[in-house]
Parts: sequence; structure tokens; C-alpha cells
Amino acid sequence: MSAPLLQLRQLTKSFGGARALRGVDFELHAGEVHALLGENGAGKSTLIKIVTGAHQPDSGSIALDGHRVGTLDPATAHALGIACIYQQPALFPALSVMENIALRLEPVSPGRRVDWRQRRDRAAALLQRLGANIQPDATVSTLSMPAQQLVEIACALGAGARILLMDEPTASLTQSEQLRLFAVIRELRRNGVGIIYISHRLEEIFSLADRVTVLRDGQSVGTHATSAIDEPALIRLMVGRELTQIYPPAGSVPGRVILAARELGHAASGVHHVSFEVRAGEVLGLAGMVGAGRTELARILFGLTPADAGEILLEGKRAAIRSPREAVAEGIGYVPEDRRRHGVILEMPVAENMTMAIHPRIFPGGWLRFGRERALALDYIRALDVKCAGPEAVGSSLSGGNQQKVSLARWLVTKPRVLILDEPTQGVDVAAKGEIHRLVRRLTQEGMAVVLISSDLTEVIGMCDRIGVMRGGTLVSILPGRTDAHAVMAAALGQGPMAGGSA
Amino acid sequence: MSQTPSQSGSSKGALRHEWVLLMVVALEWLYFNSVGPRFGTLENSFDILRHSVEIGLLALVMTPIIISGGIDLSLGSLLGLCAVVFGKLWRDGGFSPAAAATCTLALGAVAGGLNASLITWLRLPPLIVTLGTYSLFRGLAEAITHGADTFTNFPDAFLALGQERFLGVPTQAHLFILVAGVMWLLLHRTTLGRTVRAIGFSPEGARHAGLPVGRRLASVYVLAGLIAALAAIIYTARLGQARADAGTGYELFAITAVVLGGTSIFGGIGTLHGTLLGIAAIAILNNGLVHARLPREAAGVLTGALLLLALSGTVIPQLWNARRARRRRHPAPASPSSPP
Repeated sequence: MSAPLLQLRQLTKSFGGARALRGVDFELHAGEVHALLGENGAGKSTLIKIVTGAHQPDSGSIALDGHRVGTLDPATAHALGIACIYQQPALFPALSVMENIALRLEPVSPGRRVDWRQRRDRAAALLQRLGANIQPDATVSTLSMPAQQLVEIACALGAGARILLMDEPTASLTQSEQLRLFAVIRELRRNGVGIIYISHRLEEIFSLADRVTVLRDGQSVGTHATSAIDEPALIRLMVGRELTQIYPPAGSVPGRVILAARELGHAASGVHHVSFEVRAGEVLGLAGMVGAGRTELARILFGLTPADAGEILLEGKRAAIRSPREAVAEGIGYVPEDRRRHGVILEMPVAENMTMAIHPRIFPGGWLRFGRERALALDYIRALDVKCAGPEAVGSSLSGGNQQKVSLARWLVTKPRVLILDEPTQGVDVAAKGEIHRLVRRLTQEGMAVVLISSDLTEVIGMCDRIGVMRGGTLVSILPGRTDAHAVMAAALGQGPMAGGSA
Repeated sequence: MSQTPSQSGSSKGALRHEWVLLMVVALEWLYFNSVGPRFGTLENSFDILRHSVEIGLLALVMTPIIISGGIDLSLGSLLGLCAVVFGKLWRDGGFSPAAAATCTLALGAVAGGLNASLITWLRLPPLIVTLGTYSLFRGLAEAITHGADTFTNFPDAFLALGQERFLGVPTQAHLFILVAGVMWLLLHRTTLGRTVRAIGFSPEGARHAGLPVGRRLASVYVLAGLIAALAAIIYTARLGQARADAGTGYELFAITAVVLGGTSIFGGIGTLHGTLLGIAAIAILNNGLVHARLPREAAGVLTGALLLLALSGTVIPQLWNARRARRRRHPAPASPSSPP
């Protein structure tokens, strides 16, 4: 066999203190579909971004056709024939298909005459090659999601792409649309295009890919021919490490049911038929891959996107939660995933952020009481060991972990019955992470019901009394706590006893 | 933590702006006092007050709107509509001035409510909504007067509101001070002001904190409509007539005063005392030019220049500081990145 189309050697990349890639080797041959698999945060996106030129590696080498490439920036990557198809097509919705294709392929020069016939012919030819029945004159916004994806692929082909990266291309496709896409991918492979295919869906990988590389904690833990490996072995590779006992032991015995969801759903965010219970003093984990609907479920419970199906019961009583305000009134707190946009208001002082959810209680009659506010803020700054210059320090002056503590404090002061934590330790340093874990334990010992959404499997397993696994917008299984990471991963990927017939 | 010094900078910067503005106002006063012999008299001071009350009222209620990240372009037109409705009710409807004023205030609140519901329920951008009602209100005012009708000959007791004194100062000054006081308390001492500020910084962040975003936003627009109606009544009393073109362009003067006062058009930042200074700076300038025998047309040029100068005067030291801080950080050897 000739030199590989793409060869990555010992790539490393760090963001701040976090090492996203620690020496990854990867090879892609012409005419190959090479799947990339790994947990959330294993380094897949970083790898893709390096190949597309969006990120520069800290060290390591990239070679195309055996020739080493110095620096790879987006323009060079494009020129070398590397193209990426993202989950969400990045087309101009108001323009026609041929205009979108032209925008990617034609050089920009002012005053150039537009050859509309040539544009239309080229678009038609490219779409023909894909076997796509799309009119070049159609406006992109009128096209379905898979059709837009095909337009993206047409752009890539038109640019002479030899290396195609596809990031979860089937995430929003129906089964028949998937089959059509797979046919296109096989056709591309026959034409000698190398395809890096990223998906959480193991059955797709087995039906489509020639080889699969598993990433774990920023390292490649093995490349195998799909014909030489089976699903359980792949899951073992993904999960790998054994759990270390760094998590505080569960001390509380779950009490009565605090929060219950019955057949809960919200069509627009793709969540449907979710039923579960959380008891006082219990931590219910929500595991699942990105896009499984965990944050969407939290947003329903908190009234950000009120449910349009099913019901929410709080201590047995039906609660109509139509807005965050009503959720707060019902005793639900939500520490959101995006703390910089939603968790704290960065421009406002720590004290004001902490009291934001209890205005009616701490400021009776609507009059601000600065003394009270300051005293309360000082209490929580001390209790959570928030490192800041004082209650007047603005949120943006704090580090990520301390911002997260402020976001937590905002809900702790409400003395909620239910606290929903969405990725509470993501992007938080190790010390703050441990503090947050101990805090969650203490809260449950005081009888709070906690829902913990986390993509960190060790955290879910270490912290939770029971683990709900979500997939495709619904809760597919509830596993006991301290369970086996393989079982959680298998359920999240749709394998094992819960697999059912869905694709 | 290493960020300690930078965080006090923002509040200090805001404070500095108000001091700069206070100095501008003082300099204006000193200059016009030295060139215009009649400028410094008590009578002229009252004149300045009388002439700035209506725009001032609009600026007071515009302040929380801009702090919330919004804008209200319809207030000048609403002033016109309220003025002609007031005149119509009194002359053709047989209402007493007090009854007509009450109805006018209610109309102002309802009109503000129209803006508020379009903005909060339909989630339309305030700029677009109030651009629409800007035309709508003025158009209605013209329809009521058929573009020509002018209401005059109001009773003296009513005109006293705009032209006489009460307790030694112009009558309307009492109303202005009352509204300014109430607005200051609302903005700086109540949860309404706190919430409006949070919305201005981050509407989504405010929503995630469980704050009543829609209700609070609605209340500032309704309040603005109510006070625009009050301004219309005072305007009518001061000039002794109500016409459909009353208050044309006032919304822009009000916005100028608010922005000059240090309120950020991007929301979140701003104070009511800043707005008061902004009103004073513009009012004194306009009045002083007459006394200095300078052409009135210079007012527009100078107001614009003042606005741009005051804004750059605040921003330039910040940029300067940021650059210095960067330079201080830069020469240090590139340290291995530490966890964020």
C-alpha cells in the first residue's frame, strides 16, 4: 500500500491546564472509512479541529501522502483537500443551492462577472455525482436537513476534497435518510476519498467503517479493523480505566419521593416520554452522549422550555412549571451548564448574583437591603470557600471554578427541594471539583434531592445513587449507583439489553 | 487572586464619567455667566428649568429602558398624541382640565402598555416596536386634529402649571423633582432597578435566575408612557396650546441626555444622577447660546460635539489603562499556561 493519505504522529494539544490530546497517532488511507470513537471529552473534537486547521497542535506532525505539512491553517487545509461536514449544516439559508456552492468554490474578486449558467451547471453536476435530487435553484432554507448535508458534501467534492471529516452526520436523520447518506459515503469511498467518521452509534460504525480508532483521555487506545473487533470490546476500550475511590461515600438513605416526572416531553427539543423519581437525600445521575437530551430535560424541569406532554409532581402534588420563576417558587434550582452565559451575570457583583433568585424573600416590598445582602453573601463566600476580593467583586474577576461556586450559591440560598446540576464540574480545576462533590454529599444528607447531569462517567458512577441513561431524547434505563461503567456506556450507546430495534 | 485590581476599575470608571460631566456643566455655567450678563439671574435659571422639564421627564424614564438594553423611540410622538387628546377632551369633550389630565395619563400608560406587550409577548425588538408606534402615535395625533386644529385658551388655573411659580420655583419643577426622586429610588434602591440592570447585562442570564423578565420590562415601558403623558400636560400648560406636532424629536434629545449621562446603549450600565447631569448639560448649553449671542443653530453642533467628547473622555482613559495593563503583562516571560 502507498503512503497513507493522512498521517498524524504524536499530536499533543493543551487548553490552559487541560491536556486535550496527549500523543495521538492516526492514519487514514484513500478509499477508507475510518471511524473515530470515544467518550465526550476524549479528544475527538480537538483532533478534528487540528485536521481542519482550526487549532494548531502543540507538538507532533501531520503528513499528507507522506509529505509533512508545516502549519495547517483553515486555508491550507482547504487547499489540501480537507473538508469537514458538521452536524449542523453551515450554509446560508437565504441563498440558493448553487449560490452556496459558488460561495465556497469561486475566488472572491470585486467586479467579477457572475457566470450564472456555469454556476448552475456545476451545482447540477456535483449534486448528480451524489445522486441527489436537489434543484440548484432551490433556496437552502426550503431544504430538509439531510438535503442540506448533501449540499455540504457537494461543496466539499467541488473543492476537490480527498479527506472528508464527518462529525455525527446522522444525528438528526431518519432511518431512510441515513441509508441514503451511507450510500453516498460508500460511493465516495469507491472514488478514493478518505473519510473520518465520528459517531456514537456503534451499529453505524460496524456497517460503514473499515477501521475504528478509539480515543480515551486524549490518547489513542487502539486502532482495529471493524471485522476484527466486536461491540463489547469497543465499549471496554472506550471506558478503560477502573474507578478510583476519590468520591466521598454516600452517607444518606434516600427518603420520600420529592420530584417525579411522568411521561414528560417537549416536542421542539426532542425530549419524549421521560419518567423517573428522585427521593430526598438521593443523587440521580443523568448520563448519555452529547445530544441525548439531558440538558433539554433539565430545561423542561426548570420551566425554560415548559413541557408540552406529561406531568411533573413535587412531593406528590402536580406542579405546572411554565417558567423558571414558577420552578423557583416550587423549590427547584438549576445550575446551568453554560455558567458564563446563564449561571452568573459576569458584569454583576458576587453578592448580587447570589441573591438573584431570592429577591422576594430577602428584599421584602422590593426595597434593596444592602446590609442583609452583604451578610448573606459573606456567609456563602465563606461556606463554599469562594475565592474573590469580596461580595462586591464582579463575576468576571473570578476563575471558572469560583464562578461555578457562585452559581451554586445562588441556588443554595433558595433552600431548594430539588437541585439540578448540569455538568457542574466541567472546566473546573481539581480542587474545586472535589469541593463541589463534597458539597453535593452534604446537601443530600440535609435531605435535598439532586439531579446530576454529567458527561464524566467516573463522576456519575462515583456520585450517584442511581443513574438514568438518556438516549435519543428519552430515558432508556435506570441503573443502580456504583455500577459498572461498561453498562452505562452500553446503555448510552444503545447496546446491551436495552438496545431494542432502533437504529 | 490576581484579578483583584481590575475589578474595581469598572465602577470607578462609571464614577469618573459623572465627575467629568459635572465639570462640563460647571464650565458651561461659568462661561455663559461671563459672556451673557443676564445668564446668571434667577429668572433665567427658572427659564432653563421650564424649558428642560418635558425632555427631562422623557430622559428620566428613558434611563431604565436603555439600561434594560432597550429603547423607546415613540415617547416624543406619544407626547404629541397625549397633548391633542388632552386638548380634545377639554375643549370638545367638556372635561375639566383635571379630568382630562387623568384620562391623558391613563392613555399614556395604555400606549406604553402597547409597546410593552409587543416587546415582551411577541418578543419583537424594542427598536422596531417603538419605531412603529413612533409613526402610529404621531399619525393618530394628526388624525385627531386633521393636521390643522390647535387647542388654545386653556383656563389660567391650568396654565399656572406651566407658567407660574409655586413655593418660589416654577410649578412644574416640583413634579420633575418628584419624578426624578421616585425614578432614582426605583432604579437604585429597589429590586425593579436591580432586575432591569440584570436584564440589560444578560436577558438569558436573568431568565435563568428566575427573575420576572417580561413583567419588569413591561413595567418600565408602561411607566415611560405614563410619564410621557405627564410631560404632554406640562408642555400644553407651558405653551398654552396643544398641537399634533408637540414634542417632535424629543425622544432623540432624551436619548442624548441619557447617553451623555453615562448610560450604556448596550444595557446594564447607567445611573439616574448621570441622566440628570446629562439633561443639565444640554439645557444649559441651549439656553446659554442665546445669551452669548451665538446663533441658535450652533446648539445642535455643540450638543453633538459634547456627546462625542464626553463619551470619548470616558472611554479613552479606559483604553489607556487596558493598554498599560497589557504592556505590564506582556514583557514578562511567557509563563507556562496555568489552569484558568
